[in-house]
Amino acid sequence: MSNPFSSITADRRSVLKGAAAVGAMQIATPFVIPVRAADNIKMGMVDPLTGVYAAPAGNEVMGAKLAVEKINAKGGILGRQVELLVEDSANDVGTGVQKARKLIERDNVNFIIGDVNSGIAAAIAQVTAEKKVLHVVSGGHTDTITGKDCHWNVYRVCNTTRMEANSVSDLLYNKYGKKWHFITPDYAFGHTLYDACAANLKKLGGTVTGNELTPLGTTDFSPYLIKARAAKPDVLLLLVQGSDMINCLKQIVQFGLDKQIHVAGTQQELESLAGLPPEARIGIWMFEWYWKQPNVPHVAEFVADIRKVNGGKVPTARHWFGYTSAMTFALVANQQKTLDAVKLAQALSDFELPPEVKLQPNKVYYRKGDHQLMTSAFIGEAVSKGKDDPEDLFKVDSVVAGDKTAPPVADTGCTVKWPA
Amino acid sequence: MTQLLLFNVTNGLIIGAFYVLMALGLSLILNLSNVINFAHGGFLVIGGYIAYTLTPYVGFWGGLLIAPPLTAAIGFAVERVLIRPLYGRDPLYSLLLTFGLAFIIEDGTRFFWGAQGKPVTVPAFLATPLSYDFFFITGYRLFMVTVVVLTVALLFLFLRYTKLGVRIRAGTLDLETVAALGINIRMLRSINFAAGIFLAGLSGVLAAGQLGLEPTMGTGLLMPSFIAIIVGGVGSLTGTLLGGLLIGVASGVTAMFFPAASEAVMYVLMAVVLLVRPRGLLGEEGMLT
Repeated sequence: MSNPFSSITADRRSVLKGAAAVGAMQIATPFVIPVRAADNIKMGMVDPLTGVYAAPAGNEVMGAKLAVEKINAKGGILGRQVELLVEDSANDVGTGVQKARKLIERDNVNFIIGDVNSGIAAAIAQVTAEKKVLHVVSGGHTDTITGKDCHWNVYRVCNTTRMEANSVSDLLYNKYGKKWHFITPDYAFGHTLYDACAANLKKLGGTVTGNELTPLGTTDFSPYLIKARAAKPDVLLLLVQGSDMINCLKQIVQFGLDKQIHVAGTQQELESLAGLPPEARIGIWMFEWYWKQPNVPHVAEFVADIRKVNGGKVPTARHWFGYTSAMTFALVANQQKTLDAVKLAQALSDFELPPEVKLQPNKVYYRKGDHQLMTSAFIGEAVSKGKDDPEDLFKVDSVVAGDKTAPPVADTGCTVKWPA
Repeated sequence: MTQLLLFNVTNGLIIGAFYVLMALGLSLILNLSNVINFAHGGFLVIGGYIAYTLTPYVGFWGGLLIAPPLTAAIGFAVERVLIRPLYGRDPLYSLLLTFGLAFIIEDGTRFFWGAQGKPVTVPAFLATPLSYDFFFITGYRLFMVTVVVLTVALLFLFLRYTKLGVRIRAGTLDLETVAALGINIRMLRSINFAAGIFLAGLSGVLAAGQLGLEPTMGTGLLMPSFIAIIVGGVGSLTGTLLGGLLIGVASGVTAMFFPAASEAVMYVLMAVVLLVRPRGLLGEEGMLT
């Protein structure tokens, strides 16, 4: 026993089995078992309630629940009460598809909402198209969902990655410089967002100094940041989201990189800014919806409603996504007086959201050609500490209408094929 | 290029030091009790959240001092109530128990503190880089490495020079004989488990200063720690130390040339070690079952 750090017995095979089980842990998930009544209208919702997107997903569900409460208070859909069945996709494509199939085949839902993760949203869209169920993608941004892989039954509330890139590219180029370096999440959302930003930069005459593809759930960004700084860009664009955004921004500020390179990005979320220490709340971004809109009708009421169910906290864009997705079904079904998916999908073409749902100044409508909601981009800067409210962490400089940031339908690659 | 490589190797050593802290805790528990603690990442998260909760009252330093022993106390209770009844059974039982416990802890932290990440601020003098060139060596990271080095040294001294440490080492070799000598092995296992969880709690407080504090934080850090144990050699704490540093450097350097493989390289390293030297780099032949 001369060396206390050696000669210790244990079971290597067990450790190996254990390591394999840690892998399985990433996809294993608890089940949500809701209570339901037979004659209700059923909305199914698939979102990653566990994993790196748990916070935004939870907020989407909270928004949808509020919508269902309001819908039921006003008589439901076609006089029937509405119930929301929520399933956890666990941020895994296979699990998400399985849950969507379960909701459609076993629970017989009339509508589907989801998912935060672009890859899962795209996969679920294939299932809902096959099963002919009206589907609103609440928070998956990748272009293809309302682009080359669009379906007659699939509409989307959140922005496309192209819309996000278009909303800030000119501003970043003019204000920060022409050499951009990217930190990009290595999956569908990140790839299309990077492509859109890089295409815009090329058009403006700038250059990409590099693109660091980071696995989802990366904890240590330092190797990527070392590379990024060595490339000497003018702007470091963070396209990562969720906890990746928090880890990356926190490390950038600790390394002092924000003093040497402009740090910015496209989509930023209140969930991420709230999870950051004040000194790391920096940069120019776009929000997809913001809670502080003093002169816009119904926003204050929505904020108050969410505060009641959210421990006093304000709504984020994700609450609004969930709320709008669920409200869309009720609005169109009550207008058309049917539950027929094809008729409802057709009625949603160029369907305009009323003020109590759109909760923003510009006209908001589902575009006929690609089924994309023309929703505004809230462009501005992160602020370290809210002045009047600790959650007022973003200063909105401009609110640009969706049809100004969205590319023309012809450029999206979408051709909607309706069932015979 | 050479400078970039040097940067990444240094950076990898810093990251590796953190894996070492996690892996040593896992290794302690595995070696004496044969428990593969899947909930180790969960205890890391508990440590981080306890420190976050205490910080407004006792500050960052107070949180750093109080959170790890509190986490260890929770670990002690978990061992007494849940894990102790499973000793003597197939290791699969404790494996499944801690697997479930990991989910319970993750959902529990989500229930008590919310799914949204919590902001953790480190003292200002630690949150700056030491030099313009070596910007990735911040005061905080250096502090982290210092804590790891001190902890490893103290652990070494504890195992080498204290009666309790000698008993733990003896127990890992032959628990039956140790019991026959009149030593209370039930208490020995409890204390050893708590010591392992103390390291997880300490890792959690340190990680919260650098990463976002959220319920899934431990999951991403657990796998590299398991790999560090396998690469270093199950049963050897020195091997665990070496394994942690190795995978940190391998991951950092790979991220420079082929970022997509920065995570995969850890598994490749593990596969190569298992093929060439199945007992791990410093694992002792004949000691493995």
